[in-house]
Amino acid sequence: MDFTLSERDRMLQKSIREFAEKELPPRMDRMEETGEFPLDLLEGLAKMGILGVITPREYGGSGLGHLARVLVLEQLGRICPAIPMSLEVHHMCVYGINTWGTEEQKKKYLPALADGKTLGVFAVTEPGGGSDVGGTQTTARLDGNDYVLNGRKCFITNAHVSDIWVVAAMTGEGRKGMSAFIVEKDFPGAGTGHVEDKLGLRGANTGELVLQDCRVPKENLLGGEGNGMSVALETIVKCGRTGMASVGLGILNAVLEEAVKFANERVLYGKPISRLQAIQFYLSDIYSDLEIARLLAYRAGWLLDNELPADAEATLAKQWICEAAARSARKAVEIHGSYGILKEYPVQRLLRDALVTVPAGGTAEIAKVVLSRQAMS
Amino acid sequence: MANRQPESRIWIFAEQRSGQPADVVFELLGKARLLAAAPGWKVGALLIGHNVSGTAALLENRGADEILVADNPGLEDYRGGNYLAVVDRAVRNYQPDVVLFGATAMGVDLASRLAARLRTGLSAHCIDLELNEKGELAAVIPWPGGDFLGRIVCPRHRPQMATVSPGIFDVPRSDFPEAEVLTIDGALNSDRGFYRILEKKPEERKPGDLENARVVVVGGYGIGARENWALVEELASVLGGVAGATRPPVDEGWVNADLMVGQSGRTVHPRLYIGVGVSGHLHHLVGVKGTELKVAVNQDTRAAIFDHCDLGLAGDYREIIPALIAALKEPRAGGDL
Amino acid sequence: MTIDRETGTMIRRDVPSVINPLDRHALEASVRIRERHGGRVTALSMAPDDVLPVLKESLARGADRLVLLSDRRFAGGDTLATACVIAAAVGHLGTFDLVMCGDETTDSGTAQVSAQIAEFLDVPNIMHVDDCGVSPDGDLRLHSRNEEGAFTAEGQTPMVVSVTADINEPRYVTLMDVLDSEGKEVLILSADDLPLEESWIGLEGSPTRVLELFEPERKSRAEMLSGTPAEQAAVLADRLRRLGFRNG
Repeated sequence: MDFTLSERDRMLQKSIREFAEKELPPRMDRMEETGEFPLDLLEGLAKMGILGVITPREYGGSGLGHLARVLVLEQLGRICPAIPMSLEVHHMCVYGINTWGTEEQKKKYLPALADGKTLGVFAVTEPGGGSDVGGTQTTARLDGNDYVLNGRKCFITNAHVSDIWVVAAMTGEGRKGMSAFIVEKDFPGAGTGHVEDKLGLRGANTGELVLQDCRVPKENLLGGEGNGMSVALETIVKCGRTGMASVGLGILNAVLEEAVKFANERVLYGKPISRLQAIQFYLSDIYSDLEIARLLAYRAGWLLDNELPADAEATLAKQWICEAAARSARKAVEIHGSYGILKEYPVQRLLRDALVTVPAGGTAEIAKVVLSRQAMS
Repeated sequence: MANRQPESRIWIFAEQRSGQPADVVFELLGKARLLAAAPGWKVGALLIGHNVSGTAALLENRGADEILVADNPGLEDYRGGNYLAVVDRAVRNYQPDVVLFGATAMGVDLASRLAARLRTGLSAHCIDLELNEKGELAAVIPWPGGDFLGRIVCPRHRPQMATVSPGIFDVPRSDFPEAEVLTIDGALNSDRGFYRILEKKPEERKPGDLENARVVVVGGYGIGARENWALVEELASVLGGVAGATRPPVDEGWVNADLMVGQSGRTVHPRLYIGVGVSGHLHHLVGVKGTELKVAVNQDTRAAIFDHCDLGLAGDYREIIPALIAALKEPRAGGDL
Repeated sequence: MTIDRETGTMIRRDVPSVINPLDRHALEASVRIRERHGGRVTALSMAPDDVLPVLKESLARGADRLVLLSDRRFAGGDTLATACVIAAAVGHLGTFDLVMCGDETTDSGTAQVSAQIAEFLDVPNIMHVDDCGVSPDGDLRLHSRNEEGAFTAEGQTPMVVSVTADINEPRYVTLMDVLDSEGKEVLILSADDLPLEESWIGLEGSPTRVLELFEPERKSRAEMLSGTPAEQAAVLADRLRRLGFRNG
């Protein structure tokens, strides 16, 4: 078992880190204020190969795989977690099309998703059910050469900044009644609705998609009729949860750095508070969370790259890491004392960001249901 | 080829720009004069250019025993190879024991190539020079790391060479005995320059500039980010002074390299120096001379700077400096004392 | 046209090793010349071989190949000995048009090495270059700026050019660059591979020696003000006023 990162992985970390440190901070205040995704960053993200990190090279991506994706999202999240939040959902859209798409679909959509023209969306959640994937109410009815889709999707990341959506809709009844479609924003009847105003991960756009007699050419059926449940679940579990785990991991990096920095600078009783054992114990807890998170997230990425079963591992990574991020961010706020609750200090934003990761991509409760099955098997 | 005289020689490369000797030349001549106090030593100034007899006159009483002049139209502009050929020839003919250059762009370039051509040692950016009875030069430099000084010697190779930044040594008095002016061979084989100069533009000396400033506020690594630099400038401005930087802010890209104060940067002589977030590495401190009051603001009570200044404020500059600026801006209640 | 570029990095073991910042600018400048005019960029560095992973970044930044000069016998060399080794390597690698370096390194900052390399290679050099291009007739057109002023010069290759940070903004290394760097040549040379005498390199090849290190005389400690930041600031402001420093 080799726990070291390869030379390639380390170079990749360095290169994304440098990009993140320069390109993200100037945009962060505005993101925090407006809640808007900085579209001018797309070009840089494309050039860096970040948008296409799991897209095969022949479709315009960098094709580096899932562990690389974790490393990339971690480095971005260390600076600004809202960015990898947006990206991880974008990658879900890519994953869906790359895994179940026909050659024509891949050729048509994957390059556009890699080269910065647009972010992608993976739309499953509805007002009637998020965790309850089987409760989907959006319908898709075949009419001539098109499917006609009707329904609303909510809590969709990138809803207002994306032209390419993978949408789950019911073509029939029950588990085999769901199908996935590739919907372009410009298709007649496709639209966006409400924009959510979130407590954290501001700068990741979250909102509604509205489908009113939306005509989708039947060539855009993704993965075959009735296969939608597999497309949805596998994408969410494998790609989505590993992605969310990476966002949480990025937050933990930032949390530790801010906590250590403050503890070393803040002088009380004539010395930095980092000399006080209570503070040291907090730091040790945060450090432990970070190290464990790394192992969980990297393992999930590695399993996916090696095409080994990863459902439980990805679910565990997501659930555990996002909880840890929230818990450690809270400790970091406390280390900051009164300064922790001031907006001019980043640590409060990290706590808010961490809180938002907890329910995203699957609540902790659902995760535990999945894991208990694994535990009992 | 002249025979080696029995005397020992210290030579200063008398860099001139448009006929005016560089300030560092006077500083080095003064230092050389001190080093050459023992009998048997001669201080020489090596002057290269075109139509430089007037320049030689300006060097007459500045500490040299002799001024060696190479005058040739081909030496009008420094073009690398042209000066190198003449200096090389002069050094081989006269075999000085020590050759000193100002650590200016020209000085460093010329000294480096010359040392390589002569296969001898060159100590860079020295902050002091010592000469013993055996004619061995020791060059003092700040050691990488910032807390120590190193003494560098060149035991077996000659000449012993060193570069010194402008402002490190003081300009001495100008009433030394007159120097003898000697003409030396300034001939060039063909056009021995390395490159053609298409266009030249001298830098304007701004009046508010660092070297002339009465008050200098230096920002260091502790400033933390480019966005915070404005505080340094504001404090400098309120005090009627100029802002400078140590090396880390330059390396981080927060400020331009020409603000750097230190061993291989600029030397300042302010009445008041305030270091903000400056740790106090020797590389920087050697660039600050002759102050009346040196103040340091640093979060770390263990920072070296507190051993090298008069007044120390331990704390976060982001709280102290704004309060200081506000206090300075306040009109004084009840008039001045 | 073959372009060689050297990094002359001086890396010490006790600090996290990075490519000397100015060398990134030099590498970027070389790569841009190659993109415009063709040629091959070689990144050259003298360093212990455990730093190889760090130096591979130069391949990701566009160098076509990396040459590492690694030998315990190089250690302890002053600028003359270092320049001698690098020049020997450049000569060994064959003909070149241009050697580009950063003006100086951040740790020892002598700024002497590039000029000395040029002397050993018997080619011209210019320092403090903040713009470098190739004119239509194949000559180099360079702009140099230093404390005394600026000048534009024209010179013929081969040449050694050392650059300032103002010359360009190095590009980011993209994920594709990281991948592409993996196929590129890495050559490791020791003293035995180069036309060098042992007496020219390392400590033996260094005319200068460190006689000793010593601590400077420390004055006694500063008078430390006490109180809150605001209180300290008030005391200082008062002192400055009394000394006549308020508003110049």
